[in-house]
Amino acid sequence: MLLDRYTTTITFDDYEAIRQALFDPNLSRSFDKRSYAEGNIRDGVVSISHGPMQRARRRVENTQFRADRLKLYERELFPQVLDRLLDMLIGADRADVFAVGELLSVVLAARRAGVDHDERSLEQLRTLVHYVDVFSQGSAILNAKDPDTVRALVYATYDEFERDFLRPSWERRTRLIEAERDGERAEPVPQDILTALLLHRDDPAVELSDDGRIVREVATYLQGGTHTSAQTLTNAFDLLFDAEERTPGFIDRAADDLAFAQHVVHETLRLRPTTPKIKRRAEADTIVAGVPVPKDALVVLDAATANRDPARFGADADEFNPDRVLDPSVPRWGLSFGAGAHQCPGRSVAGGFPVPADRVVDDEHLYGLVALMVQAVARRGVRRDPDRRPQRDTRTERHTRWASYPVRFEGRQAVGAGEHVAPSPA
Amino acid sequence: MRRRISIDPELCIGSGDCGRLVPTAFALDESGGVSIPLAGAEDADLDLLVRAALNCPTNAIQVVGEDGQVLVDANS
Repeated sequence: MLLDRYTTTITFDDYEAIRQALFDPNLSRSFDKRSYAEGNIRDGVVSISHGPMQRARRRVENTQFRADRLKLYERELFPQVLDRLLDMLIGADRADVFAVGELLSVVLAARRAGVDHDERSLEQLRTLVHYVDVFSQGSAILNAKDPDTVRALVYATYDEFERDFLRPSWERRTRLIEAERDGERAEPVPQDILTALLLHRDDPAVELSDDGRIVREVATYLQGGTHTSAQTLTNAFDLLFDAEERTPGFIDRAADDLAFAQHVVHETLRLRPTTPKIKRRAEADTIVAGVPVPKDALVVLDAATANRDPARFGADADEFNPDRVLDPSVPRWGLSFGAGAHQCPGRSVAGGFPVPADRVVDDEHLYGLVALMVQAVARRGVRRDPDRRPQRDTRTERHTRWASYPVRFEGRQAVGAGEHVAPSPA
Repeated sequence: MRRRISIDPELCIGSGDCGRLVPTAFALDESGGVSIPLAGAEDADLDLLVRAALNCPTNAIQVVGEDGQVLVDANS
């Protein structure tokens, strides 16, 4: 059993206790060595590392999540691909919104990670999505029903990913970096995670002397920028379809008001966190919210429950309500992006900046890529497919994940991506 | 005594959250990939400074009040 080396298991479901735990430097993401120690499928990856190396690595990688980069992706790069890809992916009047979400997300995730590919080749995009699916199984291995099979599959997929995509990308960037250093005229060095890692790999603080770590790190950013966005898009429409049956008009509002679409995304994240139970391991004795936590305890942070705390989210906290009014100090997505040193670096990429209650925002506001996807799909007249049922991902115990979600399209015309209409009255 | 704002560069991971919340007080120093307090940071709204410090993902920001009391301790 993977978990039998822990001294005890302690679960928290209180919002403030979970926040304290996420900020506690004694609680790490370094789990059972058979899954995460040297030589294992996620060895040395930032998301399961701890301490000075993890911080040094995040300093390097966070350069790809600056506001200017986020604006470039949201306002220039994504709109260019969004409608073109939707035209390709929506055949006749139907599609699988989960598959669509993965293909839309992987284009920019690959660009940010530094994985060169042909954006107009559906075959290449589907290959990258396949890799993401395997890497996602690897990241959730503690919840896998067959961890040995997952482990073998991830190893084989790393090899293929490195051979067919990462090595050519790596070699190209190395040539361009050297050309720039030599003062030669050449195309600009791409700004992405891979380039940032290559430029800093001589710094011992980031511990990247092993090529395999660079492969796994880039794979992590490819997966992190794709899978969760696609799951959130799918969950958003699952919730919108249910809401539409009770109160028609939510989908049209998302189509017409990008700030409302962003509220939909945040409310979806709150109710359906892609990691419902965040796990930590106590590296030393500590105290969380007055509870003693001994060294080597497994700490389970039940974010799914905490995100429904009536004291913070209202008496209707269990309901899907994108118009929910909250205290400004409470994030609309709750704890779904985590907090502390391992806070999701892609929070603003996928979710955008916080939206005020009146949904009036300034020119610096970013809505997040998932809100743009929600709006673009809503604008094409998306509806539930009455003939084909959605399928949950049964390979994992994480209950918020889908394997497929068929939908139909009726009526509306496609319009420009990312257009913002003045907010509808609340 | 004036307020004092400091950021521990060993703890900071350059998320930029503090600068987004209080742009008059914090900015990213790209040479090191970390946030730094700007000149006059101590004159920014105290509530916002405390909020930025409390929301720092690595508890890297320290806020000391005019009376010398540590309002938010780094690495706490």
